[in-house]
This record gives sequence, C-alpha cells and structure tokens, in this order.
Amino acid sequence: MEKLASFFALMVLVFAVLNVASPFLKFAIRLNMLQSWTLALYVLVVAISSGVFHLYLSFLATIVFKGILIPILLFRVLKRTGKERELDMIMSIPSAVVFSGILIVISTILVAKFGGLEFIFGKFVFVSSLSTFFIGGMLLVIRKVLFSQILGLLIMENAIFLAANSAVTGMPLVVELGILFDIFVSILMASVLLLRIMKSFEDIRVDALEVLKE
Amino acid sequence: MISVPLLLPALGLILSLFVDVLVMSYLQLLISFGLFLSSLYIFFRKEYSTHFYDLFLVDPIDSFLLLSVALLELFVVFYSFGYVRTEISQGISKRRFKYYYFWKNGFILSMIVSILSNNLGIYWVGLEATTLTTALLIAFYRSKESYEASWKYVIMCSIGITLGLFAIVLLYYSTAHVYGDSLKALSFVDIMASVQKLDRNILFLSFILALVGFGTKVGFAPMHNWLPDAHSQAPSPVSALLSGVLLNTALLGILRFYQINEKAGIAYAGNFMIFFGLLTLFLSSLIMLRQGEYKRLFAYSSMENMGLIALGFGVGGYGAFGAILHILFHAISKGVLFMASGNILSLLHERRMEKINGLFKDMKITSFVLLFGLASISGLPPFSTFFSKLYIIIGLIQKNQFLGILVLISLAVAFSGVFWQVLPMLSGTGKGEREKAIHPFMLLIPALMLLMLIVFTFYTPQAVIDVVNSVVRELRG
Repeated sequence: MEKLASFFALMVLVFAVLNVASPFLKFAIRLNMLQSWTLALYVLVVAISSGVFHLYLSFLATIVFKGILIPILLFRVLKRTGKERELDMIMSIPSAVVFSGILIVISTILVAKFGGLEFIFGKFVFVSSLSTFFIGGMLLVIRKVLFSQILGLLIMENAIFLAANSAVTGMPLVVELGILFDIFVSILMASVLLLRIMKSFEDIRVDALEVLKE
Repeated sequence: MISVPLLLPALGLILSLFVDVLVMSYLQLLISFGLFLSSLYIFFRKEYSTHFYDLFLVDPIDSFLLLSVALLELFVVFYSFGYVRTEISQGISKRRFKYYYFWKNGFILSMIVSILSNNLGIYWVGLEATTLTTALLIAFYRSKESYEASWKYVIMCSIGITLGLFAIVLLYYSTAHVYGDSLKALSFVDIMASVQKLDRNILFLSFILALVGFGTKVGFAPMHNWLPDAHSQAPSPVSALLSGVLLNTALLGILRFYQINEKAGIAYAGNFMIFFGLLTLFLSSLIMLRQGEYKRLFAYSSMENMGLIALGFGVGGYGAFGAILHILFHAISKGVLFMASGNILSLLHERRMEKINGLFKDMKITSFVLLFGLASISGLPPFSTFFSKLYIIIGLIQKNQFLGILVLISLAVAFSGVFWQVLPMLSGTGKGEREKAIHPFMLLIPALMLLMLIVFTFYTPQAVIDVVNSVVRELRG
C-alpha cells in the first residue's frame, strides 16, 4: 500500500515537472488533468488504508471537480481563445526543468527540518507536495501567457490537497467541499475574464496587460 | 440571532435575480437596514458563543467587524440608490446594472461568513468567495483597464489565499494530534483552548504563511500591486466597501493566527506584524506623493491605513486599542472619500487629477465633502480618526521611540501627498453649477458620514469602549 501511495505522490510531482517542460498549452492542460487524477487516486489509497469514510467522498469530489469539470472548462476556453500552441517562457525549457530540480532539492532539505511530524506514508509525500507547490509558483512567474497562470494556480492547489492528505487524513468534508467549490468558481471566473481580455486586448500574453501603470 | 445577518444578504442575492434594478434599490435599503439592526443587536447583546455545530462564532472582534461592515454597507446602499439612477441618466444602460446588486449581496454575504466563522476552513472559503464575487464588480465598466485590474486581482489574491490555505493545513497538522481528524481541529475556539499542546515551530510557520498569504489580500507591501488597480477601477460604492471593510476581513485571518501565537507564548510573532505594517506604511506614503489619479491615491491611502492598523496590533496595548477603533473610523472616512470621487467621476468622467479644476465652483457640496474627507483620513481633529491614530502612535512610542518617529514622518508624508495633489483640483475657474445632475443621496450620505465621525469624537458609547477593551485583552492571550 505504501509503495502505491508513494508512486501516486511521485506522479503528482512528475506531472508538475512535465508541465514545466511542455511546449504546448493543450498538452499542459492534459498534464494538469492527469495530475488531478493521480491526486485523487492517492486520496483513494489513503481512504482504503485508513478506512476513513469521508475520504471516499473526497476522492469522488476531487475526480468530479478537478479531474473532469475544470479540464473541460479549460479546454473550451482554450478553443475559444484560439491560441493553442503559443507558450513563451522567460527562460528556456531545459533551464526551467533544472530550476525545478533545484526546487525539489530545497524542499527535501526543508522537510528534513520538520522533526515533530508523523506522516501516513512517510515523509516523501510531503516532499513531493512541497516541491509541487514551489514548481506551481515558478510556473506562474516564468510563463508569459495569462492562461498558464491559471494552470500554475491549479498545480499549487493540487499540492496543498496532497499536503492535507500526507500527515492527516484530509480536511473535514465540509471544508474540503467548500474549498473545491471555491476553486472551481475561481477558475470559472478567471476563464470569463480571460475570454473578455482576449476580446478587448486581442491577446492573452502577460506583456499585453500594461494599460495600468504608475 | 446569528442567522439573521447571514440570511439577509442571501435573501438580497436571490431577490436581485428576479427584480428590476430600480425596484431592487428600494428593497436593498430595507435589507441593509435589517442587517444593520441585527448586527447592532449582536454587538450590544455581548453574548459570545459558537453556533451551528461550532462552525460560526460571535466574539468581541467578530461583533465589532460585523458592525463596521453593516454600518458601511448601509451607507453604501443609500449611496448606490442614487448612484444607479445617476449612472443610468448619464447613459449607462440599465442592463449593465442588472447584476450589480447580485454581486454586491454575494460580496457582503461571503464577507459576513468569513467574519463570523469559527472554523478556519470556513473562514478561508468565505474569503476566497469575496475575491470571486468582487471580480466582475471590478470589471464592471468593461474597459481595458478594468479587465486588467480584475485579472490581476483574481490571480494575485487567489495565490495569496492559497498560501493562506497552506497555513491552515499546517496548523491542522498539529491540532489533529490533539483532536484527531475532526471539525474541532480547525475550530478557532478549540485551538485556543489547547494551544499549549501544539508544536510551536509549526504554529509559527503557519503564522508566517498566513501573514504573507492573507497579507496579500490586506494589501501589505510588497504584495500590494493589485490593490490600487482594483480599488480604482471598481464602481465607487464598491471601492468604498473594498477599501473600508474587505481589507479588515482579510486582516482578521492574520489576527486569528497572531492570537494563537500570542497565547502559545511566541512573542516575536508581533515583530513580523510590525515589520510588514511599517514597510506598507512607509512605501505607500512615498508612492502617494506621485499619483496621477485621485482614486488610485485613495487606494494607496487605504494601504497606508492598513499598515498603521497592523502596526497597532503588532505593538498591542494602546496601539491595539487605537487599531480596533481605527478599523471603524477608517472604514467610514474612506467611504466618504470614495463617494466624493464617485460624484466627480460620474459627472466629469475624468480620472486624472491634473485635468480637473474648479471643483469649488462646479460641485460645491462634493468639494467640501472631499476636503473634510481628506482632513478626516489624515487624522485632523475634530474627526475621530485623530484619536484612533493618536492611540496607535502612543502605543508605538511606548514600544520604541524611534519607531514612533518613523511612523509620524510617514504619516506626515502621506498627509502632504494627499493635500498637495487634491487641493489644485478644487481651485480654479469653474464651468458653472453642474451638481444638479447627481442624485441628492450622493451628496447627503457622505456628509452624514462625516458628521458621524465628528460625533464619535465627542461621544463614543461606553459599550463600544467595553467591546474594544475586551478585544485588546483577548489579543494578549
């Protein structure tokens, strides 16, 4: 069981790194979807091994919101913006991947300092979630397309869900459902804004947003 | 009783979908008046307990923030009554306003959920919901600028709040050892009750994450760059709510974590509050010297005041006493300023300060309101902000004289920045009386609010002082 859990936790991290390396937006959304699925499977493994009932519901909610609804929404938005291939970064892909490797090392060192915590499936799950969190933050900064800011945010949120299931068996269900719903609505809102920005700026690059400057 | 302030905005939310805007503006007056009365009742009843399976809580600071939200919202609703009519007569289509009250009620509802929450997870859900409900209000005028502001707002605040969620998860790690995986492990009251059993390193780490995360939404420097954009692009009544009460709602999250740390005996947590407060105050007062637009100027002034409030909470004692009072007084006086700028904007359609002059001749009442509003935000007597700022500065000087002097210098810079730039707008030759085009409520309400600030100087109800004192005691752990 522990090996399976570690595998899924590792896959969450791997999909984040692959996302950094992905040259196309459409592929990046697919990777994000796969990441949400592996996250959900990890939750399922925790549910089976710990026998906590609400985790099964949390697994279902993660699959529905993060694994199905949000990717469908993102694919539709991407289609309507019509910029499926553009993905500029402020640094080249290889250097970004190296940089995310450095982030993984940093989070390993950080987690080693957490003495007092006990984890369900070992420390590795927390290392994976922390480095996914950092990589999500890095993606937000280095990509020059507004669309991938949404993706970065989603990766960071996946990382937090993984963290919430690493030392304890998830957040209470009321809270978790509230959080998932909020995330879904925030992606919806960001998509609406993105489409309107596309309409009035005719571009979804970060550099385009320079009207307000002072 | 606690369900009333939650149900009333929800009622408004649903009603606004089915009712015409102009009819809704009447209904909204009733709803907001009911909200205000219920929050007054909660405030003066002083019955502090948890509700709904411990998900919600009324304690002194909650009831104080609830009252400040309800009071400002009442004024804003009266102002909006005139604002909607004026904007429609100025050529904005009625359809545009269809969702105005919908989003505004959603915004108020989520803010009240946050304020009254006992469960930190519910607090988070409410705070994120405030971001979502205000996003389209900020993009209300559908200009390029407003879309840009709204995008920055949604992304920056979501990232910040995600950091805040990480803080909550970390805190949950240590509380789950005491309470197991249950709702109790996130309940603020229960965390406070067993704070000595928690891992101090994790407590401090979660405080820092909360300070940076929720601090993004409070507008602490250097995470502030969304704030002036969003607050200046929103319709003016919404700007008043954003600046006046939303920032305090986000500050409540930091205060919760701060309170937990104080009770656990982590004294240096306060120093981080002081650091961020001072940085925010200092930077924003410098930026205020070079602003081109009046609404941006007032937005930076909100940042400056939030910095001051954070400083007050950081030093505690008199500082905290002044900071709590300043939350209310700043909300009212910032409301006045944004309402005055709303009057100017809806008549002249001009945001830049150098292109406006002769307001004394063109818009007599508005320019007086603006002038006195500036005096009140700068803390000049006879406005009650004088006292709240004075208490904060006394607290600061007690802590460290050098700190007090630094803050006084920043306040002086901010003061000169505001007056030096706004006064030229008032003088000069006018183009004749133009104020008749705007609804009388838009002139009356800010004047009434200024009057209220003066009344607070000479008479503050004993009950308010009692509540503020008990907040200060609670913050000390």
